[in-house]
Amino acid sequence: MSYVAIKGGKAAIDGAAAVTDYLRCKGSLDEPLTLAMIEEQLRLLTSRVISEGGLYHPRLAALALKQFQGDTLEAAFALRAYRSTKPRLLESPVQDTVNMRCIRRISSAFKEVPGGQYLGATYDYALRLLQLDLANEDPAAFKNVAKAFLRNTPESELPDNFPKVIDSLRAEGLLPPVAPSRAAAFDITRDPLVFPVPRSAALATMARAETGGLLAMAYSNMRGYGDVHPTVAELRVGYLPVMLPHPVTAELMEAGEVLVTECEVVAMYEGTNGDELPTFTLGYGACFGHNEVKAISMAILDRALQKGMQDGPTNPSEDPEFVLLHVDGVDSMGFASHYKMPHYVTFQSDMDRLRTTQQKMQQKESEATT
Amino acid sequence: MNIPRNKWPSVLCSLPASEVRHLANVLSGELEVRDVALPHAGLGLLNMREGAFQESYFIGEIPVARAEVVVRDTAGYEARGGALIVDDRAQLARAIAILDAVMAGKLPGWVNAMTLVQQGLEAHQQKQTERKKLLAATRVDFSLLGQEDDEDEE
Repeated sequence: MSYVAIKGGKAAIDGAAAVTDYLRCKGSLDEPLTLAMIEEQLRLLTSRVISEGGLYHPRLAALALKQFQGDTLEAAFALRAYRSTKPRLLESPVQDTVNMRCIRRISSAFKEVPGGQYLGATYDYALRLLQLDLANEDPAAFKNVAKAFLRNTPESELPDNFPKVIDSLRAEGLLPPVAPSRAAAFDITRDPLVFPVPRSAALATMARAETGGLLAMAYSNMRGYGDVHPTVAELRVGYLPVMLPHPVTAELMEAGEVLVTECEVVAMYEGTNGDELPTFTLGYGACFGHNEVKAISMAILDRALQKGMQDGPTNPSEDPEFVLLHVDGVDSMGFASHYKMPHYVTFQSDMDRLRTTQQKMQQKESEATT
Repeated sequence: MNIPRNKWPSVLCSLPASEVRHLANVLSGELEVRDVALPHAGLGLLNMREGAFQESYFIGEIPVARAEVVVRDTAGYEARGGALIVDDRAQLARAIAILDAVMAGKLPGWVNAMTLVQQGLEAHQQKQTERKKLLAATRVDFSLLGQEDDEDEE
């Protein structure tokens, strides 16, 4: 593509920035949004941005949402840009989500699971009716909600973490054996995807994929362009302690924690060619923040991609190249947005070619009639 | 209470950073602090074990800050301390590293530092208690669901 030189562009671009900020500030409220307000009261929006930005930094995600006035794609882009300016200090040891401090844990496979099921914060069983009283919320009542909840809920002796539901299925021999790859995990921030890619590249790509893009691909599989037929063995949301080596002792220590959503789906079993017993197949999804639809979509696509990698894709959601190259929000938004930029030279070239073609056809027609 | 060293950073991070920095500043005035390496902040790539096949993959990046110091008291005793935290404040990491050294070496001020760790532990436990309330309030028993009548069918 080509661009033409711009005159007067700087003033217009500066003006556009001023107009954008004017619209952010011109409302009837005197008070600007605080980052804490965004991070806490729009926690699911913040979760989406930290997940799609691929950087666990809720405060900067809130800042990005404020700066880009709620545009999740731009906010994730800003987070990615920020991360690109920072040095990489370490690669963590492998973290195990069995240590997650759950705030929600459910299974649609079993009525009863070891440790119990907990709905946590969810809209799953809520009516999708507007709660009109929130339109004019009383600040005093607002402040009292959290206090009253904590005051009125008795303390419990629940464990700090819970076993994995699929471990019991595995113990029964209903799941394929664990055969972890010894290959190092693929770093999508440093290496381009050149197909075929290992499963770790697919998981990393989907973990920071755009939620809607991932959902659309998974939905195609759910509706009929695929045959995963998943059952959610376990969906958990919680805080994962990040274990890093102490700089002096090298002993693993808790350096902080990150909010993670994780989903394991069990899919239809497959027969085997040899003497091995058939087992269920599995799909896995996880991402930063509280993003359940994304984690479920990722788990379905993981299963679909495993099938595509093994047997060759029979539908789009099983094709690693199709899925993984089209689910990144920053990539796809960038491509869509670039069409807004000046393409005057290329379009003038298109017009010239069309005019020439038309002239040639008209000339032929006139020659044929004379 | 004997709180193991590998818990100190996380419980100190449960407190307001200003409290941690304040005590580290006070102790720095009484002790000699030497940076082994300049405190720095950046990112860490978070390596996860996925649940299906136990393979590792990178879920994304986290902010990390790291500091390492040697602290010496007026009698010449010295201890090494360090901190590596999920945070982007290098000076907070340095403050924790100073407290780490003071407590590890039982240098002057270690009791005050341990008191702060104790307060951090209480804040940490309070947060965990609140999270457990989220679970306790929403424990659900699906065993009364009929096998055929009530279940969602596709």
